[in-house]
Amino acid sequence: MEAEVWHYDGRNANRWGARLAGDATSFRLIGGSWESGPYAWADLAALDLPGADAVFGLKEAPGWRIGLPQDAIPDGLAALLPRKVRYGGFIDRIGLWKASAVLASIAALAVFVGVSAPGWIAPVVPQSFEDNLGDAMVGDFGGRFCATPQGSAALKALTTRIDPDANARSIEVANIPMVNAVALPGRRIVIFDGLLQQAKSPDEVAGVLGHELGHVEHRDTMAALLRQLGLSVILGGMNGTAGSNINALLSLSYGREAEHEADLTAIAKMRAANISPLPTADFFRRMEPALPGKGAKRGRNKGERSDLEDEAQALNWLASHPSSASRYALFADAHDTRRTYAPALQPSEWRALRTMCASDKKVKPVGAFGL
Amino acid sequence: MEDQQGSAFGFDGTWREYAPIAFTNLLLTIVTLGFYRFWATTRTRRYLWSRTRFIDDRLEWTGTGKELFLGFLMVLVLLGLPFLFLQFGVQALVIRGFAGVAMGTGFAAFVLIFYLGGVARFRAVRYRLSRTYWHGIRGGSDDGGWKYGWSYMWRNVVGMIPLYLMVPWAMISLWNERWNKMSFGPHGFRCNARVKPVFKRFLLFYLAPFLLAIIGVAYVATIGGFIGSVFLHTNYPPVIAAIALVVIIVGIYALLGLIALAYYAAFLREGIGALRLENLDFQFEATTDDWLKLFFGDILLVVGTLGIGWIFLQYRHWKFFITHLEAYGEIDLNALTQSTTRESQHGEGLLDAMDVGAF
Ligand SMILES: [Zn+2]
Repeated sequence: MEAEVWHYDGRNANRWGARLAGDATSFRLIGGSWESGPYAWADLAALDLPGADAVFGLKEAPGWRIGLPQDAIPDGLAALLPRKVRYGGFIDRIGLWKASAVLASIAALAVFVGVSAPGWIAPVVPQSFEDNLGDAMVGDFGGRFCATPQGSAALKALTTRIDPDANARSIEVANIPMVNAVALPGRRIVIFDGLLQQAKSPDEVAGVLGHELGHVEHRDTMAALLRQLGLSVILGGMNGTAGSNINALLSLSYGREAEHEADLTAIAKMRAANISPLPTADFFRRMEPALPGKGAKRGRNKGERSDLEDEAQALNWLASHPSSASRYALFADAHDTRRTYAPALQPSEWRALRTMCASDKKVKPVGAFGL
Repeated sequence: MEDQQGSAFGFDGTWREYAPIAFTNLLLTIVTLGFYRFWATTRTRRYLWSRTRFIDDRLEWTGTGKELFLGFLMVLVLLGLPFLFLQFGVQALVIRGFAGVAMGTGFAAFVLIFYLGGVARFRAVRYRLSRTYWHGIRGGSDDGGWKYGWSYMWRNVVGMIPLYLMVPWAMISLWNERWNKMSFGPHGFRCNARVKPVFKRFLLFYLAPFLLAIIGVAYVATIGGFIGSVFLHTNYPPVIAAIALVVIIVGIYALLGLIALAYYAAFLREGIGALRLENLDFQFEATTDDWLKLFFGDILLVVGTLGIGWIFLQYRHWKFFITHLEAYGEIDLNALTQSTTRESQHGEGLLDAMDVGAF
């Protein structure tokens, strides 16, 4: 069969006119004073180009092209020419809509696995591995853990009270003036000194501790760590700058459900330890100015200046633990009026705990925290 | 060869013809959670190039989605893994009190990204030239861009030292350095852009600090806040204050955007105007007004279609680029032989990952 084509040979930029002449397996190009080929039909590839011409390239010959008007292709030739590749791969074979449906189901499955995988995997990760990882990452917190004989004894008393089974490997107070408490990898809980200063009673600290213990027992930290790992793989791992990462670890987000579960654990632990949940409810209310009993009485007097500072401080905690009316109500409702609760610590112990960081001469000073 | 219509470059695509490509790209990108975007980019470019005429024939894009994807994977391994380690390593170091070491590694990472950013800019132009065919002939470069990466670092740093005054010099000299290493067919590009024509526009940027000061004062005046240890109050109702603040901030951003646009317009005019390939001289004639129209057209298109118009931006930008591109001179088709440069096998991986444009 034969057809008139235009031709680039890929060696120089001249555009040749040529006659294509071929049989069932191959063809030759015959120009005015030249001839080339034979070329196998199987080595041709159809290019996906708009316009009136059908254009073909040749395998292993960059720039080599033949083209002819779409409507000038003889029937015999059309059967030998390859089909256009449009969307690529298997999409061209099974069609756009079918392929989209298949791909969408795969994507939905992938999203489902991706979102829930950390929750399945975390409980399977050996606890010893997590403990080693946590120790490697956290160490001694850069020498920021506070310790005094009386303060440490008070902390021990509080720990024994709220966590009698010693589910946490360590509970420490860090000399950092942020209103925050975190569960770190390796069953380690760190309370920031700022939270102790902000708390009005040891019961509030017990409530927060109970909540973090919930994260430890449910292995939420490991799940969050896995989730962060997965995210950095997907996002190419280069969105975080070095400076923001410490915050990322301190406020690993566990999700709404995990936070609620941790609250339930906290309430159960307080009930077991006979500590009133009311002060903790009050703590949440103070941290969230929009809740009833707080917003209305706020004025703009000079004396209220510390309130503004309180709110700025509270943001640390709110960033990782969004307060809400329901959360406040959860703790308030857990209060049993017929019961006589015992304070989490004696007044002298509470004093010792709150002044522990200030009286510890060896602890690294506040300003040295490298954020 | 002389051109009859007066313009060597022409674009004859239509958005109707492009729409099926844009929408199917969007569909497939969504159902593959973004993985199709490498093939989508390729399809878009194949269309745009095929509707771009240079003198008597169209351009052809021969890049593939697979090579863009491989480039992405390569970046993931080369940069992603060290960064993953860095991300968790730095956290651990900071928590354990080795803030100095953490800052050191952070700085090393910054330098690495800076360097690779320069290399990526070079390789993106090289990749695009090597996949662009005209009359069966392609472009490319024999240079890998590794030296350019160093050049990119020190010139940018030197450019910033005297209060950023030498940034135009850095940009122009880097542009020249890059293009002087590119070629099409057997011919090398020659580029000798000058700093002087873009410098005056650049001086407009020095208005920026004053604008920022205005933002600061306006913010305090409308919202109230601390200046030093003094707390300022305001009597405006919060809604008015918020609106005023938004207007001020938007206004200042718009002004900064205008300055950037004016500078960029001058920069491309000079950069492309100084470009020469054998007997061809290039020119780029978009004025600041043209850029403004493009920019506001983009905004209108995207906002007016509730975001869907976003898929047409690439089309609009290419059309803008080609419509204002011009070339004078002549080409000897016999002498325009095939490029002997090596073809890079992994697309624009680096650049893709760092999200910067090639021009
Ligand atoms: Zn929590």
